[in-house]
Amino acid sequence: MTWETVIGLEVHMQLRTESKMFCACSTAFGDPPNTNVCPVCLGLPGALPATNARAIELATRAALALGCTVHERSVFARKNYFYPDLPKGYQISQFDRPLATDGALEFDSADRGRVSVHIQRLHVEEDAGKSLHERYPGRTAVDLNRAGVPLAEIVSGPDMRSPAEARAYLTVLRQILLYTGASDCSMEQGSLRVDANLSIRRAGDKQLGVKTEVKNMNSFANVERALEAERERQVVLLESGGPVRQVTLLFDAGSGAVRPTRSKEESHDYRYFPDPDLPPLVLEAEWIRRQRASLPEMPEVKRRRLEEEVGLSAYHANVVASEPPLAMYFEAVVGSGVDPRVAANWVTGDVMTAYNETGGFPVRAKRLAALIGLERDGVVSLQAAKRVFAELTREDADPRELAEALGLLQVRDEDALGGWVDEVIAAFPAEAARFRGGEAKLLGFFVGQVMKRSGGKADPKAIQPLIEARLG
Amino acid sequence: MSIGREQVEKVAKLAAIAVDDAELEPLVAQLSRIVDYVEQLNEVSTPEGTEGFHPGPETLPLREDVVRRFVPGNPLDAMAPEFEGGLFLVPVRGTMAEE
Amino acid sequence: MSRATPATVAAAATGTALAQADADGLNATLHWSQELLDQEAHRADTSQRSGGTGLKLYGMPVAVKDNIVTTEQPTTCASRMLEGYVSPYNATAVDRLRAAGALVACKTNLDEFAMGSSTEHSAFGRVKHPLDHARVPGGSSGGSAALVAAGVVPAALGSETGGSVRQPASFCGVVGLKPSYGRVSRYGLVAFGSSLDSIAIFAQSVGEAGKVLSAISGHDTRDSTSAAAPAMGRPDAWTDLSGIRIGVPKEYMPADLHPGVRAGVDRAVDALRELGAEVVEVSLPHTKYAVPTYYIIAPAEASANLARYDGVRYGKREVGPEGDVRALYQATRGSGFGAEVKRRILVGTYVLSAGYYDAHYVKAQRVRALIADDFRQVFDNGIDLLFTPTTPTPAFRAGEKTEDPVAMYLADVFVCPANLAGTPAMSLPIGRSEGLPIGGQFMAPYFRDSRMLSTAAVLEGLLDGTAEVR
Repeated sequence: MTWETVIGLEVHMQLRTESKMFCACSTAFGDPPNTNVCPVCLGLPGALPATNARAIELATRAALALGCTVHERSVFARKNYFYPDLPKGYQISQFDRPLATDGALEFDSADRGRVSVHIQRLHVEEDAGKSLHERYPGRTAVDLNRAGVPLAEIVSGPDMRSPAEARAYLTVLRQILLYTGASDCSMEQGSLRVDANLSIRRAGDKQLGVKTEVKNMNSFANVERALEAERERQVVLLESGGPVRQVTLLFDAGSGAVRPTRSKEESHDYRYFPDPDLPPLVLEAEWIRRQRASLPEMPEVKRRRLEEEVGLSAYHANVVASEPPLAMYFEAVVGSGVDPRVAANWVTGDVMTAYNETGGFPVRAKRLAALIGLERDGVVSLQAAKRVFAELTREDADPRELAEALGLLQVRDEDALGGWVDEVIAAFPAEAARFRGGEAKLLGFFVGQVMKRSGGKADPKAIQPLIEARLG
Repeated sequence: MSIGREQVEKVAKLAAIAVDDAELEPLVAQLSRIVDYVEQLNEVSTPEGTEGFHPGPETLPLREDVVRRFVPGNPLDAMAPEFEGGLFLVPVRGTMAEE
Repeated sequence: MSRATPATVAAAATGTALAQADADGLNATLHWSQELLDQEAHRADTSQRSGGTGLKLYGMPVAVKDNIVTTEQPTTCASRMLEGYVSPYNATAVDRLRAAGALVACKTNLDEFAMGSSTEHSAFGRVKHPLDHARVPGGSSGGSAALVAAGVVPAALGSETGGSVRQPASFCGVVGLKPSYGRVSRYGLVAFGSSLDSIAIFAQSVGEAGKVLSAISGHDTRDSTSAAAPAMGRPDAWTDLSGIRIGVPKEYMPADLHPGVRAGVDRAVDALRELGAEVVEVSLPHTKYAVPTYYIIAPAEASANLARYDGVRYGKREVGPEGDVRALYQATRGSGFGAEVKRRILVGTYVLSAGYYDAHYVKAQRVRALIADDFRQVFDNGIDLLFTPTTPTPAFRAGEKTEDPVAMYLADVFVCPANLAGTPAMSLPIGRSEGLPIGGQFMAPYFRDSRMLSTAAVLEGLLDGTAEVR
């Protein structure tokens, strides 16, 4: 029997602000517990929320980048429930009047080709604090530094059909969010969190099966693993005749299994109602239009442009477009007038290696452009250029001066080159005889030996005719 | 009576308020009396779309994204029932009684 | 010993009067100390000297209802839940009182979390009516009302959600002023019904009430519902009321109105006419629905506003029988809140819960819009102000209405409409019936607080507010 998997995702992203959603406390990660707190985010008697403009702007930009309609009027509502890390006993969120609705996100599915997922809504809310369960025996310890940090929740339709599609959706979503600058999207620091809903049904069925919610995944790979485990669990349940119950499950990365949450499900009745402390959020159409106009080129558009107009290979276009900083760097290098394909080679090679190690760009774009120019003009060899690049990561300097100081400028002087050629021919008499006998492919061997003897400084294009002249 | 015992118990659970048996009966009667009383609103014909009424400003004011550290007049540990290592402590959540 | 100043003299006299009020058993205060009074006088003198003259409230002792937070003294809301709680910040209104030179050193008793109309629902005992200890001073701001009525302080802050300043002002025979919603910052006022709550003022005269309002009003960025307007200026001093049209809504003059109250209102209306005002009958047809509307919306908002009292971060904690955190919440809230507070939280939770939200909360919000529209239509049709009785009866006896919550709620029938609509309203003494004060209420269009005060001051000048009317 074949089962169809149906997946919808709820993604919470932390909006990249300095201060919290409704108070002026810092959103800094990793500060000592309960140091970034104030009457508002502690839920003290008498405190009132004051809304962060930047959070609204970032959420709007993310929504527009996802093709959503951003509403000129939206409403903050109170979501009521008790939890030790929820200071007010309610979370300020948005309910029936969210900031934005009805967007779409496309990705390539291995099974179904190009897939479009409906973005049902994007709304703004505040985060809860953090409960630490292992610090003190028998006690839950509460740190409220996170309480009130601004979040946007992005809810997809039940439009994915496999765990791999869920992962592909997340990968594209993350790229878009990074491009807008709305979020750091770091799962490690909790600035991106994913909850997944999964159900299965017989292939061809129209009605959805009973869905479960899977939480606690700390990477996209683990989202895929967790959903595979949950799909398997549901298949086993249904094939053995048992029903799937609507439960919340936690993923255990160690065992790769999903387990129902230990505490009994409470009957949820959140009693949403408009927050009487906060008038409706009203955004002018003109302001929304300006936000849309000032969005950067989105990754998919950029990827296509790099491939089709700039002429990069599909692989290079993909890698360059994947991370906004990388793409910006690439465009800065190309802007100095060098061949984009050569620049892409550098950016996806040595530059990306350095970027992945340091998270930054140790060689300034115009220095790299100059270096690429030196190599193109034959002033330095590719090999030498790589040494100059390595040196530039340690010290910012003019590449030509650096190459000169390092003695890496190519030697094209025929006397010097001729001397090295003669030495090589003398050192390899047998190979010289074979070359004379017509074994032309040995030319490369001789060029290599001359390069070696020159310490990489010889210009290979100049060596070739000299060897051919002497052994011809 | 418009509200029964079970409903009061359910609402008390949602509100996280312990109600002992002695309190329950009078509460059922009082809440019923209040709910019966407010139900006279049903006789008013009301247009839809006006439920967002609020006497305050019509649009949400926004503040600049600037950090200001709060310096409490009294330290947190002075007001917290249980506070250690910079953290508020509560008993572990534990399994809930039958809902 | 430094030499006496008006402020230090006021501090000393106030201390003596507070001690006397406590000794008389009014039970109007929850926290005060001579030491803090003296400190406040010193601070007022220092800023008066450094800031030049002209501090609006220099040396004026102003008592503050104990649901407005202060750092020097506890803020308990008259609840076991917050017994001993000291706020780490001050309410905006308190900061502004001090900046104007007032002495803030006395916190007053109230119905727990401001829920009540008689100040019998305080965890620290009921407040007594200064003129008759067997009666209630009204509520929920009964402590502030009693202190001003007893002449202990010239002015005090209270708070209103459904008339909790005007109703006790009427019962006690003092001026009670509820400004337009959003005129005074709510930052630091412990929330009850956020869309209804307003800091409000008791004073011995209309002029003093206006002075306090001009000191504490004005925009505050920490309160998103605070109106983007500067502080209220000094109301114009009028000599007569010619050209002013005053409406008396017939719904506020029912057949069963207490005869003393009716006589007081009739006398005041005559005085208004004598002063040149045109007085006409008008109608606010949805008035009878104000109390039921209020008793859905206020509890609904309260059920969320009071969820923060959970025994985790501050205040009372009671560990439940099971020892887990849910039991902790239930035990803390079950024992920390008094009966009336629990009733209202439960009603509020009920009207917001699944299946009842539309029928109750949404319905009440729509009726509320109709009530506000009643006011708008009257004011749009050339009526400058409304004049009504503040309460249907003079102060009632303690215990008279504690058995039936709805009977208690009906004590607010004439005062809660202004909270629902957000319009400014005030009560002033218009006479006495069998020795008990009667209050007359003015209501004005949104943000016409100043015109309302000017009118009330003219009437106050003509009427003897303590004269027996019947």
